[in-house]
Amino acid sequence: MQSAALLLELGRWYLMAGGVVAAAFLVFGIDRVEPSARGSYAFRPLLIPGICLIWPLVLYRWFTLEKHGEDAR
Amino acid sequence: MSVQYTPVIWNRNKIFYDAVLLIAVALYLYIYIRVAPGYEDVTKPIDGAILRMRAFGSCAFLMLTVILCIGPLARLDRRFLPLLYNRRHFGVMTAGIAAVHANYVLTWYYNFSPTDKYVALLSSNTNYGQVLGFPFETLGIAALLILFVLAATSHDFWLSFLGAPIWKALHMFIYAAYACVVLHVALGALQGAGDPIFTSVVAASVVLVSGLHFATGRMEARRDRGEETAKASLQEKGWLVAGELDEIDDDCAKVVTLSDDERVAIFKYDGKLSAITNACAHQNGPLGEGKVLWGCITCPWHGYQYNLSDGRAPAPFTEKISTYKLKLIGSTILLDPNALPPGTHVDPVEIGEAA
Ligand code: HEM
Ligand code: FES
Repeated sequence: MQSAALLLELGRWYLMAGGVVAAAFLVFGIDRVEPSARGSYAFRPLLIPGICLIWPLVLYRWFTLEKHGEDAR
Repeated sequence: MSVQYTPVIWNRNKIFYDAVLLIAVALYLYIYIRVAPGYEDVTKPIDGAILRMRAFGSCAFLMLTVILCIGPLARLDRRFLPLLYNRRHFGVMTAGIAAVHANYVLTWYYNFSPTDKYVALLSSNTNYGQVLGFPFETLGIAALLILFVLAATSHDFWLSFLGAPIWKALHMFIYAAYACVVLHVALGALQGAGDPIFTSVVAASVVLVSGLHFATGRMEARRDRGEETAKASLQEKGWLVAGELDEIDDDCAKVVTLSDDERVAIFKYDGKLSAITNACAHQNGPLGEGKVLWGCITCPWHGYQYNLSDGRAPAPFTEKISTYKLKLIGSTILLDPNALPPGTHVDPVEIGEAA
């Protein structure tokens, strides 16, 4: 009971953190690291669920792409 | 990549594919909900919500089975390739159907529990140490989370942004999801009254999925071995490995040096490969640096032209250059280093499937 509630609470925090990352990435990051996304806006909301679910991976790729550019792809 | 992203790219084929898929799913659910009650134990009639929960659960399971079979089927027989083409929408739909199933469970079993229904789902059974009565719901949750992640990362953007290695590794989790679902069903629904039809469906799915993967694995290993021996026997006869197919751009050449004054240009054009000497008959201009047009190579120095298949200048000209024999084994190009007399016709090698 206790641990179930804790688990759900953790999940909720995880998804909320994902929401913050999604906002930051879609507003600032995506144009910097994904040239094909420049000028396309309609598809961006589609990425929100994915970013919320795997935001640590998104942050990791965001930073590697910032640092190493296209070589990291 | 210069294409711009759009939310979903639909074309006529994909709409057809999606329509067939939707109709098949709707038909399955309808028939299940209509027909299954006929096979029920009349002393324990099941409620409509439970019936729908089972209909959606088994539908998602079958869809997952088909998804996992499409890959190996397409490799075994190219006629299945059209199924592979739009697997993405198939996957997203599967995640949706599975979510409906889970939602029926939540609203039906846990809606009236005094605690939050999610808490109730997670805490009502924690007997992880036992097989009988194992909290199989957790396995369903794990599978559903995986399906969500895969559906949410199916847009082309993700493949480009994560990079192919990470994206592919992530999407390999589909197998973990399948394993979770099989266990979810084996430890859950199949532990109960024992429905022989559903039990055999699950068994058939497992046999089919693992059998197909085993068969393609064997086939590919055998083909790789066959290619290795073919390559080795050609090399024994003096043929040279000239390189890999993807080293050559369309309508361009790779130049292979045989000796100081003998270079061969291997051209890729119109889905074919041809090899000619790199030296133009006029003043030894580098033919390999020329461009192919209509099956003809134009020398970059003074514009002499030659047909790639026979090394002859198109009429009315009469220049001839040497041609060479090629073979394509898998994606490796092999070259017979013995020049043929100038003007000898050699059938171009069709690239076909390997391209
Ligand atoms: C949050 C996630 C999930 C929960 C809580 C959940 C829960 C349940 C429950 C309570 C049952 C009833 C078992 C019984 O009748 O004894 C069930 C059956 C089943 N579930 Fe799930 N499940 C989840 C996810 C999934 C997923 C992702 C799939 C497939 C992709 C799936 C496929 C099935 C199937 C095939 C059955 C058996 C239906 C039948 O009896 O014909 N479930 N699930
Ligand atoms: S060298 Fe090729 S046209 Fe003159």
